[in-house]
Amino acid sequence: MHPTHWFESDPLWFKTAVFYEIHLRGFFDGTGDGHGDFRGLIEKLDYLQWLGVDCIWLLPMYDSPGRDGGYDIGDFYSVHEDYGTIEDVRAFIDAAHERGMRVIADLVMNHTSNEHAWFQEARSDPDSPKRDWYVWSGDPTRYADARIIFIDSESSNWTWDDKAGAYFWHRFFHHQPDLNYDNPEVREAMLDVLRFWLELGLDGFRLDAVPYLFEREGTNCENLEETHDFLKAVRAIVDDEFPDRVLLAEANQWPADVVEYFGDGDECHMAFNFPVMPRMFMAVRREEAAPILEILAQTPHIPRNCQWGLFLRNHDELTLEMVTDEERDYMYAEYAKDPRMKLNLGIRRRLAPLLDNGRDEIELMTAILFSLPGSPVLYYGDEIAMGDNVYLGDRDGVRTPMQWTGDRNGGFSRADFAQLYAPPLMDPVYGYQAVNVEAQLRTPTSLLRWLRRFIALRKEHPVFGVGTFEALTPGNPKIFASIRTYEDDVVLCVHNLARSAQAVELDLSWYAGRRPVEMFGRSRFPKLGQLPYLLTLAPRGFFWFRLEEDEEQ
Amino acid sequence: MTVPDQIAGPLEDWVIEQRWFASKARDVASANVLETIELSAAPALRLEVVETRFHTGTHELYQLLPGDPEGVRVLAELLGAEASVGCVSFFGGVTPTGHVRSMGADQSNTSIVFGEEQVLKVFRRIEPGENPELEMLRFLSHRGFENVARLTGWYEYSGERMEATLGILQEFVSQSRDGWQLALDDPEGLLARIPELGVATARMHNILATDASDSAFAPEEPSEEALSLLTATIDEQIERGFLDLPAGDERVEPIAGRGEEVRDRLQMLSHVGVGGRLIRNHGDYHLGQTMLTGERWVILDFEGEPARSLRDRRRKRSPLRDVAGMLRSFAYAASASELLRGVPAPAGWEDRARAGYLDAYLDTIEPFLLPAGRSAIEKLLAIFELEKAVYELHYELNNRPEWVRIPVAGIHRLLEEEVSHP
Repeated sequence: MHPTHWFESDPLWFKTAVFYEIHLRGFFDGTGDGHGDFRGLIEKLDYLQWLGVDCIWLLPMYDSPGRDGGYDIGDFYSVHEDYGTIEDVRAFIDAAHERGMRVIADLVMNHTSNEHAWFQEARSDPDSPKRDWYVWSGDPTRYADARIIFIDSESSNWTWDDKAGAYFWHRFFHHQPDLNYDNPEVREAMLDVLRFWLELGLDGFRLDAVPYLFEREGTNCENLEETHDFLKAVRAIVDDEFPDRVLLAEANQWPADVVEYFGDGDECHMAFNFPVMPRMFMAVRREEAAPILEILAQTPHIPRNCQWGLFLRNHDELTLEMVTDEERDYMYAEYAKDPRMKLNLGIRRRLAPLLDNGRDEIELMTAILFSLPGSPVLYYGDEIAMGDNVYLGDRDGVRTPMQWTGDRNGGFSRADFAQLYAPPLMDPVYGYQAVNVEAQLRTPTSLLRWLRRFIALRKEHPVFGVGTFEALTPGNPKIFASIRTYEDDVVLCVHNLARSAQAVELDLSWYAGRRPVEMFGRSRFPKLGQLPYLLTLAPRGFFWFRLEEDEEQ
Repeated sequence: MTVPDQIAGPLEDWVIEQRWFASKARDVASANVLETIELSAAPALRLEVVETRFHTGTHELYQLLPGDPEGVRVLAELLGAEASVGCVSFFGGVTPTGHVRSMGADQSNTSIVFGEEQVLKVFRRIEPGENPELEMLRFLSHRGFENVARLTGWYEYSGERMEATLGILQEFVSQSRDGWQLALDDPEGLLARIPELGVATARMHNILATDASDSAFAPEEPSEEALSLLTATIDEQIERGFLDLPAGDERVEPIAGRGEEVRDRLQMLSHVGVGGRLIRNHGDYHLGQTMLTGERWVILDFEGEPARSLRDRRRKRSPLRDVAGMLRSFAYAASASELLRGVPAPAGWEDRARAGYLDAYLDTIEPFLLPAGRSAIEKLLAIFELEKAVYELHYELNNRPEWVRIPVAGIHRLLEEEVSHP
């Protein structure tokens, strides 16, 4: 079947898409074994279509010993048995496509599990043809300038392997040996992996941990030129063989380094904007727009055919690697009052608990996110304000079962409670009896129903995905306002970060004669003129306006 | 309004005037030909893919067929020859012949009758994927469903841009009258044939639910939240519909200001157990989509509601949604008699039509396709009738102000009805 069977060809589809990140194990259990799976996910596609999702992003579903949530891949060509089979994946992709949704999946190119057959072969014999597929050394002081990422659990990037009689290199856990990308066989093997999944119908990949593919002495072994060259080669092959696919880079780096992953529009299509996210949390807590404005000012322009991925929360800790020490202290003090909430350089909490379950705050943060240049990526469960469980280890606290109903196991699984991969939340505030999809579907004023309408609104206006972005600098520092423009569509977004009502005067004389029409309720506001335009906003309130050419003149 | 298209003046102005143009004229920024495929030099016939762009930056694609007046024969010959021209392919092997006449304008397509035997339906809006009309006709024709006009050919676009069905050829049902005209001309005569229509509808649904191996048609058990998704969607339509109600208009007086009541009513109706199956269905079912020949009913137009997207029209739903569409159509027919002919429908006509249709349908439909129990069936039907009436209200307010009373009465009746508690 034609890969674009249910889609109009559009190489830039990702620029106007709303992404939704799914932890497969935690979404819906279709087989009754206590783990989410592809059959369960197929059953929930109608829900995702209703919500307005354009592209589903799956966390790794590959065969894996599961010591790092599946990011320790044991076989790139098979699916973890808890999730189903390759045929189930194919059925899922087809069913999603039929509903107009695309699917991308995580792919870890940097390393494998130490249980992967390649590594087992490599360590067994120095003369093995796979030996050179990994990075070995007799000296654990090489590449000393490379930082340790998982500082809470790892003490070195080198781990001694008795069987191999050598140290192997790993930027993440010691059970995740890095592949040796200097070896052309490795590069070719990884391209074959990509081809396999694209042929199956995947619409692209979120490339996990891309900055670390190559190692060079005297560098920090991140963002090396060789890494970029390889990614460009990958892009060329994908463009050539598989139209309308997307490569989304996970490069948790400063803006100036991240933009390198776009190349000249010939490397990754998308990259996450990591630094903007903690600044949004700072802005809402400090009640001022400055942190967002500052990071936007530092964010370079990107090629026209590229796009930022924007998110508030994801499956990892809220990462604070890309903030200053001072900012990090502030974030910890404000958002991780319990030390258990900290993990590595970050905070392992979900969106709703971070915002003290404030409905206004959640809506405000979503509105700001949706107004920024980029494509929003929602994290499963955040649409119903799910909570987290800080008593679960590592990042499992933000990966608890999706809460579908108030019934047993939150409607996630028909298995016995003891069989579940993780307990669903049961506390009085965030537990499944209080917070679930069923209840919010039935409540017209719920966050879920609001978010659906908001997504639909954003999608009516391609300007949010492809338009120009201009931040305004009004006199009132508590207001974050911007103008977006695409073809004849001009949109003004004004957000009040303060806990108190605010008035703001905006200089919109450039648009004099146009009439702001509030986008949700279609209320017509007074026309813009030469004088500053006065708006008053409720605490944590926001307005989105279309600036329409007034027809009544 | 026929094929080939005779385009006069600027393309943009011409497209906007066409009945099949789906969007509002004021939103159009431009219209451009993206691609031209020459189907024949003499007589001339071209196939054009035209893009209309809107002020917000969105777009739609349409099929245009400009050419000489006799160019329509080219389509007939290409279908007969199963030809391919560029990325347009024709299928069927049947060459329609005979006198050519246009069937007049429709909301989404242009239909041409050949020799009173075959009818070619040219879809105007081009959307990626197989058109449900082609899928449904093929499925029903192959399985020997008698109450359908057989599919005899189709043509499609398959290029870099997308894959899309461009048109279908099917047998023309001659010597027949459509159910809507019959309801107005001979309401008692129609009443006598309504049980047969109920049976035909049920058979159609039974057949549509037979193939578990074809993923496009395999019946599905509704998910836990299927009903909640449905009612949440309808609830939003009600909210929007009542926001748009004109103030101080005596036609809407019986329901004015009662939006919250309607939403409460929907909530009450939705307290019904999940059950039955979701299957492919007609999607835009009403008396105007049926023809009565001497011996049988023929069901037409499987495209689904033109205002919905193709993927929405292909969605599996409860078969009761079609049934609700037909019940609403009886309400329309009863009122239209007065409106159009100045003659009130016979006393109790709508109620008798409903009862005759429903009884025959429920006797024939496979019970597993419906929720268990008459009460659950009636509640789900009422939900779908409400959805339909709200849609009608919106449509009539914008298009046919004199018909507004009909959906208003439908919604009003629902508000006054007792809700049974299981």
